[in-house]
Amino acid sequence: MKPLLVLALALPGLLFLASGLAWLAGLKAPEPLVSRVTKAAYLLCFLVFSAEAARLLFFHDPSLDLRLGDWFATAHAHFGVELLFDRLSVPLLWLASLLVGVVAAFSGRYMHRDPGFHRYFNLLNLFGFGAFLVAAAGSVELLMAGWELVGITSVLLIGFFQERPEPVGNALRVYGYYRVADIFLVASVMLGHLWFGGIEFAHLHLPENAPWPEGSWKVTTTALLLIMAACGKSSVGPFFGWLPRAMEGPTPSSAIFYGAVSVHLGAFLLLRAEPLIRASGVAAGTLVALGAASALLGTLLHRSANDAKTMLAHATQTQLGLIFVEIGMGWTGVAAFHITGHAIVRTAQFLRAPSLLHEHHHVHAAAGGKLAPTGEHLEALVPRPLQLWLYRVALGAGFYEAILSRALVTPLKRLAEGLALLEPAAADQPAGTPGHGPRPEESQR
Amino acid sequence: MVMSDHGGAEAHGGGGDVARLRQVLAHAAHLLPIQGPIGVFVHHNTLHAFQHIPFEQAVLEAGRTFRSEPFLPEAAYRAAQAQGRILDVDIDVVLAREPDADILPGRLTRRQLLGAWLKAGSRTVPPESIPWHLEEGDWLERFRNDLPEATRRALADGSPRALWECCLARVPRAGAPEAVVPRRPADVVEGMDERVHPTLIRLAGAFLDQGVAYWPMPLRCDGFFKACVQLLSRGASVAPQGLEGLRDAFEQLGSARVDAESAVLQCLAELGVPPGDWEDFVTAELLALPGWSGMMALLEAKPGLAPHIIVPTRLVDFLAVRLVLVVTATRRELGGASLWRARRVTQAGPGHLERVAAAFDAAQVLGMGAAALAALDDTRMGRWVDAVDAAGSMERRRILHLAYERRHERLILVPLRQHLAAGRLGRPPGRPMAQMVFCIDDREESIRRAIEEIEPSVETHGAAGFFGCAIDYAGIDDAGPVALCPVVVTPQHAVREGPAEGHADTHEKRLALRRLWSRLVRSGNVSSQTLVRGLFSTIVLGFFSLFPLVLRVLSPLGYARLVRWLNARFLPEPRTELRFMRHDESAREATRGLFMGFSVSEMADRVGNVLGPMGMKSGHARLVVVLGHGSTSLNNPHESAYDCGACGGRQGGPNARLFATLANHPEVRAELRSRGLVIPDDTWFLGGYHDTCSDDIDLFDLDRMPATHEPDLTALRAVLDEARRRNAHERIRRFEVASPSLAPEEALRHVMQRSEHLGEPRPEYGHSTNAVAFVGRRDTTRGLFLDRRAFLISYDHASDPTSRFLGNILGAVIPVCGGISLEYYFSTVDNEVLGCGTKLPHNVTGLVGVMNGMQGDLRTGLTWQMVEIHEPVRILFVVENAPEVVLAVIHANAELKEWLENRWIRLACVDAAKASISVYRGAGVFEPLEGDDVPLPRVRCSADHYRGHRSHLPLARIEPGAATTAACCNRH
Repeated sequence: MKPLLVLALALPGLLFLASGLAWLAGLKAPEPLVSRVTKAAYLLCFLVFSAEAARLLFFHDPSLDLRLGDWFATAHAHFGVELLFDRLSVPLLWLASLLVGVVAAFSGRYMHRDPGFHRYFNLLNLFGFGAFLVAAAGSVELLMAGWELVGITSVLLIGFFQERPEPVGNALRVYGYYRVADIFLVASVMLGHLWFGGIEFAHLHLPENAPWPEGSWKVTTTALLLIMAACGKSSVGPFFGWLPRAMEGPTPSSAIFYGAVSVHLGAFLLLRAEPLIRASGVAAGTLVALGAASALLGTLLHRSANDAKTMLAHATQTQLGLIFVEIGMGWTGVAAFHITGHAIVRTAQFLRAPSLLHEHHHVHAAAGGKLAPTGEHLEALVPRPLQLWLYRVALGAGFYEAILSRALVTPLKRLAEGLALLEPAAADQPAGTPGHGPRPEESQR
Repeated sequence: MVMSDHGGAEAHGGGGDVARLRQVLAHAAHLLPIQGPIGVFVHHNTLHAFQHIPFEQAVLEAGRTFRSEPFLPEAAYRAAQAQGRILDVDIDVVLAREPDADILPGRLTRRQLLGAWLKAGSRTVPPESIPWHLEEGDWLERFRNDLPEATRRALADGSPRALWECCLARVPRAGAPEAVVPRRPADVVEGMDERVHPTLIRLAGAFLDQGVAYWPMPLRCDGFFKACVQLLSRGASVAPQGLEGLRDAFEQLGSARVDAESAVLQCLAELGVPPGDWEDFVTAELLALPGWSGMMALLEAKPGLAPHIIVPTRLVDFLAVRLVLVVTATRRELGGASLWRARRVTQAGPGHLERVAAAFDAAQVLGMGAAALAALDDTRMGRWVDAVDAAGSMERRRILHLAYERRHERLILVPLRQHLAAGRLGRPPGRPMAQMVFCIDDREESIRRAIEEIEPSVETHGAAGFFGCAIDYAGIDDAGPVALCPVVVTPQHAVREGPAEGHADTHEKRLALRRLWSRLVRSGNVSSQTLVRGLFSTIVLGFFSLFPLVLRVLSPLGYARLVRWLNARFLPEPRTELRFMRHDESAREATRGLFMGFSVSEMADRVGNVLGPMGMKSGHARLVVVLGHGSTSLNNPHESAYDCGACGGRQGGPNARLFATLANHPEVRAELRSRGLVIPDDTWFLGGYHDTCSDDIDLFDLDRMPATHEPDLTALRAVLDEARRRNAHERIRRFEVASPSLAPEEALRHVMQRSEHLGEPRPEYGHSTNAVAFVGRRDTTRGLFLDRRAFLISYDHASDPTSRFLGNILGAVIPVCGGISLEYYFSTVDNEVLGCGTKLPHNVTGLVGVMNGMQGDLRTGLTWQMVEIHEPVRILFVVENAPEVVLAVIHANAELKEWLENRWIRLACVDAAKASISVYRGAGVFEPLEGDDVPLPRVRCSADHYRGHRSHLPLARIEPGAATTAACCNRH
């Protein structure tokens, strides 16, 4: 079983490597081959993870802690490559392999003849590998490797339509959010090593191994750092609001990233680090507060959204906030169910988003032309001026981005521009500006 | 915003300004797209605003207004040349029709320059890369090696370097580009639109929303401007960066109770736009978001187009909000709202290096080395350079396009004449086994051909797919009545479907079940997205949506079968009938004043007007089948664009059903007989529906058919089923995912799967590849493989001595087929600006349209996936009647005259008996078609011709009588 598990885990990464190398050599596999091989690979992963899940859940076998050696080691510290297959990671692996597989099957047709077909599948596979790695990582270091793969593929797929400025601009912005969140993750790794000799998930639950006294400020700091990192991935709390910007990519990538797997990885990290968070009342309280605030703002924005994808993005944000609350309250079982159910529902809804008109037409006709209005209790219960103000808040997306860009982004940009004066070469504009010509890859067709 | 105290229109010159503003808006609105909410898609000429000027000029002018491309890129025409799709002879013929002029007297004329340059192909590179080609490439090392031998010999003496230096020295530099006043602030302030648009799009989307948002925009019943003033002047709000002062601006407008017109006038004054520039300015501002502006203008003009919710929409409201945002952003950026007018923009033409490179290329193509150029005196060199400049890329593309269309004309007309000369392949004599009336749609050509190939004694006809019945119709499963007729017609007659006698109970049960289903689906959807209900529904029910998801993605047909089975099992289906008879002459519907149904003479009119022009006046077959059409697909906000255009972008089944019912009516038959249209007593009409995506054919009211016709129907059914398979087989050659080795049966399954696939971006190719409209008898084109590229309109000129029918037919089909052809043309030549780009990032907004990503313009036109295989040519009308008759009919109708004389369509007339064709060349001149330069292949069956090919195919003659015809489709 062990080699199979490792193979399943590595399979998407191998696909990425193979196809990437072939591409470098100037070869391009025919489209049907790409989509068939990808589908088969995820089917295999799905079967392996299903077997493993059955072993863990139905036969109550112990979890599997695979040490594949050290990445590197010094006298004082070591970074181990350690995989953990337990009751938390295996269900996520199972879910991820299933949903990525479904999305890959969907995309084979959806992306057909697009000039970026191969780029899309390469990124999807790299993402799959990253997500698997996050799920199975036994330590924060390894988790971070997967975390970064997920982040960079996410950004590249938002900017998939690279010949238009809006997707690229929004991808860059999401990249900014991710990078800031990553700082917190790096800091937690560093401090974790400094204070506790590394954060290894397998040891976190064991009370006798916990090196932390309850409420120690070191634990609180580490937990808060992890919470911030998770917020970045899940568009919660201080990182609220980037999710709608991520809707620029092809529909299936929106589904797998922002409906299904990627956004839930933040919550997964918190589930992994849950003993640490539970050890600190401050951290747990912060988590609940951030989650609740995001859920409330998310639901307000969702209610006023008028396009298919923004609406889904805010609905997702709402449930993510609630999942964070559940984890903060210590209801990890509920959170796990919530993640699973939510990921499946949203994937289905994102994939159906382009058919919204068709479905609405049928539902409207079946209702005899009269659909029950929504939002009435809101209009009946809330006083009129407050209603208008709430709607104004919704129009301004909670004003959060406006405040952030004024208070943080612009000063930072100014600083950067000021520093650039010291480095004249860096300020030079690259020659040639892209026009709206044919798609770059088209010339190769 | 600093508003003058005396806000309101009076302060700015009184009502006169408002009247002027209205005029300006009307002019600007004329340029905006007129595509309505996307649920109903009607094809039209994308450049409708320019239709009053000739095509070649209009595309250039529109290019300047919209920054759109007029023709394909030069490289595409070069590729067409390489494939033999444009020949040198086409270029010669096109140039011969162009005016000529001496460039170097006795040595070079304009035609010679263009001819040599276009045949050899211009070597154009992006201007930025010219230095690279000089320094790193081989431009200075050797001359072009793709030139004719004689040219190369002429160049052999000189060196490329010398020629380049000569061009560099002797191509004069253009003067400094002129600096002009910018049209709008965004021309001189970078990132202006990026500041204004997100807020504006968010507001416009919320305002026009037709039922996506859970909480509809408050106050929108007061109109866009008032709602925005109220909402944006709320306290405790933060404006987006770059729009600081937004709230103050709207608060002042609100407290001064300014209306939208006055707000626009105030903004114009503040921005310092002089009245003479208003139109230019307003047009430019509105065209910055053409999709949203156009939707506002359209819903103002035709509020009824809103699919569900009519909100009071006015373009001036939208403009007012836009301008307030622009004023705010400009003031913030420049410190004063009118300061942008002090800045200048320069409009640079092609740079000097680019012109030198063009001259360098032209000289090589003409075989003029450095010595030859040096020998020219300054005057002559000046003329030569001017001529090369004038033969720039745009001019070359225009000529190439004309050559491209000329070759298309030859590829169609020459084989057509040969086909006629070889003798008609009509139906065997005797009473036909059945007659089938289809829509004129180009997609029906192949299935008609398939039917005729399978059973030669079936006769097929084409009539506009509403079959003369312009009706306001509601079926038992419909939300409400809709107009089933061309959009230019307003239906006067209401027809309703209702349960037949004794089926009222079943109907009630069906209604109740469908209501229950819709409530479940809707509340399931809504509740999964809200806060508290979402929590429970995703935790508890989320897991269960896995099964439909997986089934739907992995086996679309399996899912469809499951749904069909569930429907058949649980949803009762009542027998229904159409309520179409009006016994009381004056019975009208209460709300809209429609006539309830038809009187007998009105029914006879409708039947006669369809059957008459087709020549179906007597001797009908025992079965006459009338098929409406439509298209069913998922993942396709543009679904309506695939439906029947003659039914206003809807499915035409009910029209066909009604037509058959009318034609079976004994009183109608009696009335028709008195008018000379004799339908035999044993003839039975059947209505039906053909789905052009899944190739399903559904026949209606079979239980009303006399039992005597059962055997006829059984025989016809067999023919139709085989025709569906063959049609699907012919269609899949265009779909790359379908293996060409699929058997007809598998091909049919493949197209059915496309119609049910949740992720399929091209369920079918729609009207893509449309290029010809044939108006004439089917016998004239029967047996000709037209590759699904021709609209086929049945018209028998022998039965139309006064050409009244021809006038009716052309009056309908020229705008409809012309509109389809031009929409495909423009969406192909500039898919980003005139089309709506790739559909992969499309996002349905407010049920009115699609935008890219979260905040973009409403996209109009056709998706890349719809046009990717299209050949952009203006449609070629081939009319079977005498040229002078056709011309007189067209000239008698001002609209048609504009279509023809401004060359938005092409025209040819055919005389089938003499096998002669004359082609219209404009200004009343017909030119006889000569030459036999295109062969007409002869094949035994369609499949023999198309097998193994994915691209466009030439015409072919399908010879009758080959023993293997019936079986040949099954060979692989």
